Amino acid sequence: MADDETPSQTQESSTAREFSANGTSMSTTDVEAKLDKGNIEEAESSLRERLSLNSEEARTLLGRLEYQRGNVEAALRHLNPNSSSVSSSNYSSSLENNCANLDSQSQQAARLVLEGVYLKVKSLQKRKLNFVFIGFVEAAQDCTNILDAVGRIFPQGIPDAQVESKLQEMISKAVELLPELLKQAGKYQEAMAAYRRVLLNPWNLDNDCCGRIQKAFAVFLLHSGLEAGPPSLGAQADGAYVPKNNLEEAILLLLVLMRKIHHGDIQWDPSVLDHLMYRLSLCSQTPVLSNQLEELKPGVFHRTERWNLLALCCSGVGQHKAAMNLLRESLHINERPNDLTALLLAAKICSEDSQLAAEGVGYAQRAVDNAKGVDEHLKGVGLRMLGLCLGKQAKVSSSDFERSRLQNEALKCLDSALSFEQDNPDIIFELGAHYAEQRNLNAALRFAKKYIDITGGSVMKGWRLLALILSAQQRFTEAEVVTDAALDETGKWEQGPLLRLKAKLKVSQSRPMEAIETYCYLLALVQAQRKSSGPMKIDSQVQI
Amino acid sequence: MSSSNPGSPSATATSSSSASSFSSKAHSCIQALSSILSTVPSSVSSSSSLLHDPTVSSQISTLLRDPDSGSGDNNLCRWLYDTFHSPDPELKLVVLRFVPIVAGIYLSRIALRKSLAGFEAILLALYAHETTARDGQPISVNVPDLTQPSIYHEAKSSVKTQATELNLAVISPTLEPHGTVRSSRRARIVGVALELYYSKISQMPVSSKLEFCEFCDIWATGIQNKPSSSSSSKQKTILLPWELLQPSLRILGHCLLGAHKSKKLYEAASMATKSLYERSLHDIDAKAILATSSLLRLEKMALDPKLNVDHTEIDMSLAL
Repeated sequence: MADDETPSQTQESSTAREFSANGTSMSTTDVEAKLDKGNIEEAESSLRERLSLNSEEARTLLGRLEYQRGNVEAALRHLNPNSSSVSSSNYSSSLENNCANLDSQSQQAARLVLEGVYLKVKSLQKRKLNFVFIGFVEAAQDCTNILDAVGRIFPQGIPDAQVESKLQEMISKAVELLPELLKQAGKYQEAMAAYRRVLLNPWNLDNDCCGRIQKAFAVFLLHSGLEAGPPSLGAQADGAYVPKNNLEEAILLLLVLMRKIHHGDIQWDPSVLDHLMYRLSLCSQTPVLSNQLEELKPGVFHRTERWNLLALCCSGVGQHKAAMNLLRESLHINERPNDLTALLLAAKICSEDSQLAAEGVGYAQRAVDNAKGVDEHLKGVGLRMLGLCLGKQAKVSSSDFERSRLQNEALKCLDSALSFEQDNPDIIFELGAHYAEQRNLNAALRFAKKYIDITGGSVMKGWRLLALILSAQQRFTEAEVVTDAALDETGKWEQGPLLRLKAKLKVSQSRPMEAIETYCYLLALVQAQRKSSGPMKIDSQVQI
Repeated sequence: MSSSNPGSPSATATSSSSASSFSSKAHSCIQALSSILSTVPSSVSSSSSLLHDPTVSSQISTLLRDPDSGSGDNNLCRWLYDTFHSPDPELKLVVLRFVPIVAGIYLSRIALRKSLAGFEAILLALYAHETTARDGQPISVNVPDLTQPSIYHEAKSSVKTQATELNLAVISPTLEPHGTVRSSRRARIVGVALELYYSKISQMPVSSKLEFCEFCDIWATGIQNKPSSSSSSKQKTILLPWELLQPSLRILGHCLLGAHKSKKLYEAASMATKSLYERSLHDIDAKAILATSSLLRLEKMALDPKLNVDHTEIDMSLAL
């Protein structure tokens, strides 16, 4: 992260440094000695004489030397005279005229000037990392000046292969640095605009550089917390997809980066996938993530790791069968049979399907056995899953004897799970439900009430359980009171199951007319829902 | 206060400019607050200074944490409620600044069966504001399909027959109006308040985000570390349904990977993320496991100097 940069680790060591220009080279020792004594003019003139340089070139070299020695203030003193000139119109127009024919000599002259400014920019950045950061603004302004000048030299964008490599290198650096400087200066909106400016214009960047900027922009879009509005491109878009907000833009950039990784244009960078994983799982788009994982070249992830991630992706959107197939591979005895996350996920999926419950018992037991050391805290979860799988298995057992044995074991597991995680609402609910199934209604009632307390009545299944237990105890009036309380606490689109329960309670009390009234209300609700539901009301279908 | 507030309400009411009407709103707001807090520094004279003054926010935070706070007749809750209804957007920010602590304390106290009507009024006001602003509509994004060209890439094999297949991702579903906090909608109402907080997070002071991380950690673990004593007290575990977890993880992402420069905030966010990761394992919540584990890896990578080479550094050669 650029924000975390430590102050310059400029080489302080006085290992032999050499100036070279025009086919000659010279040691820096003499010049450094002159600089240290404060004889700047002498240092400059000795450089000019020995290397046949003009004074601008000599000052650029002196600036670089001081920058390398970590003396950013001194570097700035050497650079100031020529760097201010890039923004002054007369200089830049001569610069542009110079470059109009793009021959290598004029390109070199342009590069020297721009390099001087760039060195100033970096010096300002370094200085401000050491002290306060007002100078970032100035650095960013100078950096913008560089890009403006380059833009005037190459109004059609930088032509491929016609640019001297050193000039291109400097331009690429300035392009990459500008948004970083603006962020450091706290100018976030300008940084957004700068990112788009550098990414949507042809600067002839190499793949790596372009990839780094795209990633940095995606990260900034995702995490800065700013909404800068969509890029407005007008005619430029030319039928191409234009993201309509920052989140779409960030996801687009990350997907583009992943494609470059798949095509081998840029190196594998795990952080790209992790940013995508974070954001796509938050918007429940894990299938898109699965596609990315499937496209990755072998060797990027260990296969079990990939299977486990894919299983999480499938499970995240309820594709439990596909998730189980992957988990069976990864938990195979020859792979990683004791991976706790995979074991728990497998056990959870199995606990919801009576056909898989017996298989789930095995995974849950392995999870319990492996919850050791730093993973000790997961023992309770393992026991809970074991209890749930055993309970589910009991439902399809062939004999009464077997069923009651499994049910007892299930209760024992849930009980010990609770001793690991007292107050875990899920375990409390499940204990209530299991006791109810075993017709131990007093114990069931205790847990059901505790669940309502602990969740503040926020979960409808808790109310339903309580009402069902009361009704099993023939306490119909109380059950109805509970159902009414639950209806009060529930939004109307979720009231379906409660209304059905209420109607049944009326029937049980031989009050058919009231039951009909309740059913009528339920029907009206269904119709109202059908009328008002657009395609977006995914979350609020009436549940019946 | 009188010296810093020369304009009487009647004098400012005649002013037509909205800026000065905002400033008079801010003045009356600050005046109302000074009757609730023990001291309001004289430097606090505008909504912006109200948002950023550490003594004011720490006093408000302390009062909100009081065991008897949050009831229907609580002065401070009333003040936050009124302030949020001010037309001055900056005053709204002042209220949003306390969303982490209001939501945090509120959710932690549900099981205690205390009156929390004051907190609920604030949260409902935020929810109603968002419902109106969005006209109840869901917020969704398209996950782009790279077979179609975009501003950032060219599609090499343009399959013309294939209609653009965009995956629509609902970030925040439809909002129904709520006049009271029904317990089944509680998580959603608090979640929407957190969404609103996130939408202004770049303007929130670090202290507010630190409070969020603190409560996130408590929600995840049920353990409250008291800074004053070495003991920590176990509270009741709070259900973390997706509607609460999703906005929380967005806020944490900002705290952990955003462009701010507070080391303390990075550390607090890192701790909260670790707790939420463990919690997601306990809940075996696949999406939460993916989101939190990727955040933890990203944090690690952000701290690794080998992965953070500065490519804009100047070439070390001294050749022209």
